[in-house]
Amino acid sequence: MNRTLSNLKRAGFVVALLIAAAASASAQTNTGSVAMSATVSKFVEIQSGGAVTLTGNSGGGVGTDGSAGQPLGVSINLGELGPSNASSFVTATVPLRLKSNAAYVLSVSATVSSTGSTANKITAADIGFGLGAVTRSGTGVNASGTDTNATSGDPTLAANGSVNGATGRYEFTATRSNLGAFTTSTTALSGSYIMNAVPRSNNNGLNVPAVFAVKPQFFENGSTNINVTFTVTAP
Amino acid sequence: MTNSRSIFLVIFSCLLVLAAARGTNAQSQTFDISSGGQPTITGALGGSVSGSASALNDLVVTINFGEVSPANGNGVVKVVVPVAVRSRQPYMVTVSVTGSANVNPSAIQLTDIGFGVSNMRPLGGKAQICSNSSHLIYTPFGNDPSTSFTLNASGRVAYTSDLADISGATTILSGPKLTQGTSTSRRDDDAWVFDAVLVIVPQYFAPGNASATLTFNISSGPNVQC
Repeated sequence: MNRTLSNLKRAGFVVALLIAAAASASAQTNTGSVAMSATVSKFVEIQSGGAVTLTGNSGGGVGTDGSAGQPLGVSINLGELGPSNASSFVTATVPLRLKSNAAYVLSVSATVSSTGSTANKITAADIGFGLGAVTRSGTGVNASGTDTNATSGDPTLAANGSVNGATGRYEFTATRSNLGAFTTSTTALSGSYIMNAVPRSNNNGLNVPAVFAVKPQFFENGSTNINVTFTVTAP
Repeated sequence: MTNSRSIFLVIFSCLLVLAAARGTNAQSQTFDISSGGQPTITGALGGSVSGSASALNDLVVTINFGEVSPANGNGVVKVVVPVAVRSRQPYMVTVSVTGSANVNPSAIQLTDIGFGVSNMRPLGGKAQICSNSSHLIYTPFGNDPSTSFTLNASGRVAYTSDLADISGATTILSGPKLTQGTSTSRRDDDAWVFDAVLVIVPQYFAPGNASATLTFNISSGPNVQC
């Protein structure tokens, strides 16, 4: 009798365990969760701001032109830069377009090589350079942003150059007004974020012209190659 | 000694049965939400989604949209989360959202995450098909936000519905009973499934991270006939 009672107790205990296990194994719930996260990294880009303009040239021309919103890669033949070109300056204006979601820095580096062998050959200092007026306009652009132009602007401005009284050579004398100041990567422009939250397909941005100018002079005859690289970063 | 042991066993067994009874109450509840299948993600750069593919498992999904600056050249990052629902009486599904508010208006906001509900469908032979009432997706959520967005006057992407349309526990779906019979256990053939679609279009957002959590809930809904 005692043994039977004991077995019943044990059986009851096992049944209770099974009931508890079954109940906990298939529990339903009336809630579910979806957790989300996303990352936005700093992003900058430089594009062409439009077609190149070339003025004062004798011969030469724009080889590969710019097209607004397309990758920047233009080639320009400045033509004749000796005294036979009677223009005051040969000027090439290259529109640039910048976009960023963070503060940016636009740096410029240039290499200038001439076939001449004397001090009269064209050098980097003879290539005037500057960034013109910066504009932030259009839908999606942070119009209240500010920018710092580290160049002296249009190199053909009277304030940016003059004839050297001692040598007679025309020189671009203002701060960072010629490519001699950019033989290594040097900041030309910097500022606050450019784009509000809009897709990359937005065609607006910060527009600024890069102006190159050469004063025709009695340079040593020969040919000159000028390569300029623009780099935008978000430090 | 033997008496003490017997008393202990009896009391302990009673406690187990009581506990099981409480569990059985939970088990036999009228409403249930679970995973409705494997969540998917497309258009992501460095993103991922994790969740169970089995409708027998709870709905616990983690989405990493990845990079959503213009560095992501895809037009849209889209996540589809299948959600299974079960009920033995008319139901409604609500959703609520929690997440840190971003004070920078150029950073990701709730309005920048499109959210829609679509593709309500039966899952298996034990799903209840009702002829007198249909399952209603509430306005404005009945759309695929990956195809229904536009640009607002500021040039920013605007969705037909987004997470900012969720205020408190917001009803997104309701209808007649979803499950046949009176079985109290979750099965993989006795539910209805809908797709919760979440979308971000990469833009020039301010750099940083953003996070939010959606909580889906099913409960008693408008009294409609099956």
